[in-house]
Amino acid sequence: MPTKVERWKDETYGMEIRDHLLRFAEEGWDAIPEDEHDAWFERFKWWGLYHQRKGQESYFMMRIGTPMGRMTPEQLRTIGEVAAEYATGPVENPEFGDAYADFTTRQSIQLHWIKVEDIPDIWDDLESVGLSTIQACGDSWRNIVGSPVAGRDADELIDVWPIVQDLHEQFKGNDLYANLPRKWKVAMTGDRRGSGQGDINDLAFEPAVKEIEGEEVAGFNVNVGGGLARKEPRFARDIDVFCRPENAADVAAGLSALFRDYGDREDRFNARIKFLVDEWGPEKVRSVLQEEYVDYELPTAGEGLRDEYDYNAGRADAAGDYIGVHDQSDGQNFVGLSVLVGRMGADDVIELADLAESYGSEMIGLTQRQNVIVGDIADEDLDEFLAEDLLAEHSPDPHPFMRGSIACTGTEYCSLSIVETKNRMVRYGRWLRDNVPVPEGVEDFHIHLSGCTASCAQPQIADISLRGMKTRKDGDAVEAFDVGLGGGLGENPQFADWVKMRVPADEVPGYIANLLETYETERSGPAESFRDFVAERDEDELAALADGEETSYEDPYLGNTKMTWYPYAEDTSMDASPAPTDGQGEPLPSDD
Amino acid sequence: MADRVMKVNAFTTFDLLDGSVEGHGFEENAFATLNVRTAREDPEAVTLELELDNTALESVPPHADRVTLTADEAERLASELQAAADRVVEEGNA
Repeated sequence: MPTKVERWKDETYGMEIRDHLLRFAEEGWDAIPEDEHDAWFERFKWWGLYHQRKGQESYFMMRIGTPMGRMTPEQLRTIGEVAAEYATGPVENPEFGDAYADFTTRQSIQLHWIKVEDIPDIWDDLESVGLSTIQACGDSWRNIVGSPVAGRDADELIDVWPIVQDLHEQFKGNDLYANLPRKWKVAMTGDRRGSGQGDINDLAFEPAVKEIEGEEVAGFNVNVGGGLARKEPRFARDIDVFCRPENAADVAAGLSALFRDYGDREDRFNARIKFLVDEWGPEKVRSVLQEEYVDYELPTAGEGLRDEYDYNAGRADAAGDYIGVHDQSDGQNFVGLSVLVGRMGADDVIELADLAESYGSEMIGLTQRQNVIVGDIADEDLDEFLAEDLLAEHSPDPHPFMRGSIACTGTEYCSLSIVETKNRMVRYGRWLRDNVPVPEGVEDFHIHLSGCTASCAQPQIADISLRGMKTRKDGDAVEAFDVGLGGGLGENPQFADWVKMRVPADEVPGYIANLLETYETERSGPAESFRDFVAERDEDELAALADGEETSYEDPYLGNTKMTWYPYAEDTSMDASPAPTDGQGEPLPSDD
Repeated sequence: MADRVMKVNAFTTFDLLDGSVEGHGFEENAFATLNVRTAREDPEAVTLELELDNTALESVPPHADRVTLTADEAERLASELQAAADRVVEEGNA
């Protein structure tokens, strides 16, 4: 029997939701019938809107999908202007101020505190520069991820940007694929870095070469069924298909139609294609794709480039991100800037757009490590660009502990999280920078902090994985983290080993300090990466590497932030919430 | 060490309880997670699931325990929990 969500989707889904949103915007928050909130909030996701958590009623998170995180400076400026004008709430964030944009692990942008009444004006602004919130969430083709510098990267096999643009055009707003059993995440990689992180996507195009009829063809191997969520992490499985660039849309259409038709619509927990791949095996996925969904003979897989992958791979010989200055294929440079936990103040977003434009850049890129790239900086301008004030804050050469951190949204806005995340990760980064010696040879060190087991910060693929929990300390319940070690992608992707449970949040920096001291002392040498060091040790040895410890680090969010209406308000109690509010942000009268 | 078996998020009933495991010749204490769950669609039963932190246990392998209750059984459990809680409150030990 189809689920409740499937029944809601059968009634209204896809493009038509836009008209309903415009109607609700016109009539105001109160026009959304209270007994239909769940159904409408589920549908709104398709147009990129998530209702915020308890205590923040009437406010939405808005997600803007940018294929491969790629934008023009004009588009970035519009994001900043929209954030400044509309993404402001009743209370400022103590670290980030009153308006900011979040750059996500899937290369999208998230804005918070959005009012339904403002959505038409926001859409007008975004769409006037070619941006959209369409299918940013919901059960359909999500934002396609990959390297933002495709076509510019001097280190690539295929420029995938034209292909990704084509897929984006074909599968956004396409009724045939608008209502899938669950989300559909696609990654396309054409470089030698593995920067698409295809292993954790539903459908991954990985760069490969194959000899066909005596000719060496550059294209993709096709992997299916990766994903981290639901405590059931899977790497995408090889279905033994090589895909020429010109066939990418056929294969993508075939596989998303296969998922549409065979995915589980009776149990949303079992709906992602990773579970269908579990059930069928890759061979059957291939044969059904061949027999029912494509009309040409699928070649078998080609020779991949995995042994060259270094993106988030935990290698000692290569940084696993885009930070710093890199060569472009046209002789110019692209510069990766660190954006701690992916959050940038609206004023900085606008300033970055202006700066990029003034240097003649035509491309801004958001990376899956929540950082930002400015493309097209000429050699002769490079020193001047690197000396710009904004780059002191968002550095191309950050301290290793300020470089590799990812954090999800957390209890600030999210209904699922049980701990505070972004502000805490910022504080962790600063404390580590100021207090912990960096082991010799370590350039980037990846700490992924997720607020619960939903895995939005990709905690299973980091050097240090932190996942929100609770513990008791001095008789009080406090926020805490389970700790995992040694995950990463690259040639041999590996999920983290979970080694500690419920380390109090204020003892995590001490844990990391102790851990790194042990690493530096016991490793075979600087050539042994942290990930390799972890891989060499068994469970008991990993658990014994370090303990949590109180230090000079102070954590202002130790209490139960999920019980607050907003963790940084002066009065955090639910009763103090002004929500729901009207279009001007004024509290609406309650029914009781 | 194995990962947790149960997922834990803001909808989990209890993410921090004191638990213990006892068998013949062993007894260990650990923090525990306890969750009450029903199917999202047409629920026919109530599931009660319990997991003790496996890092704190040596005597049993990492696992979670589940019991399935009919609606009547769940109501009876609720009522016994209520009565027991009332007694604790009455004694002034809440």
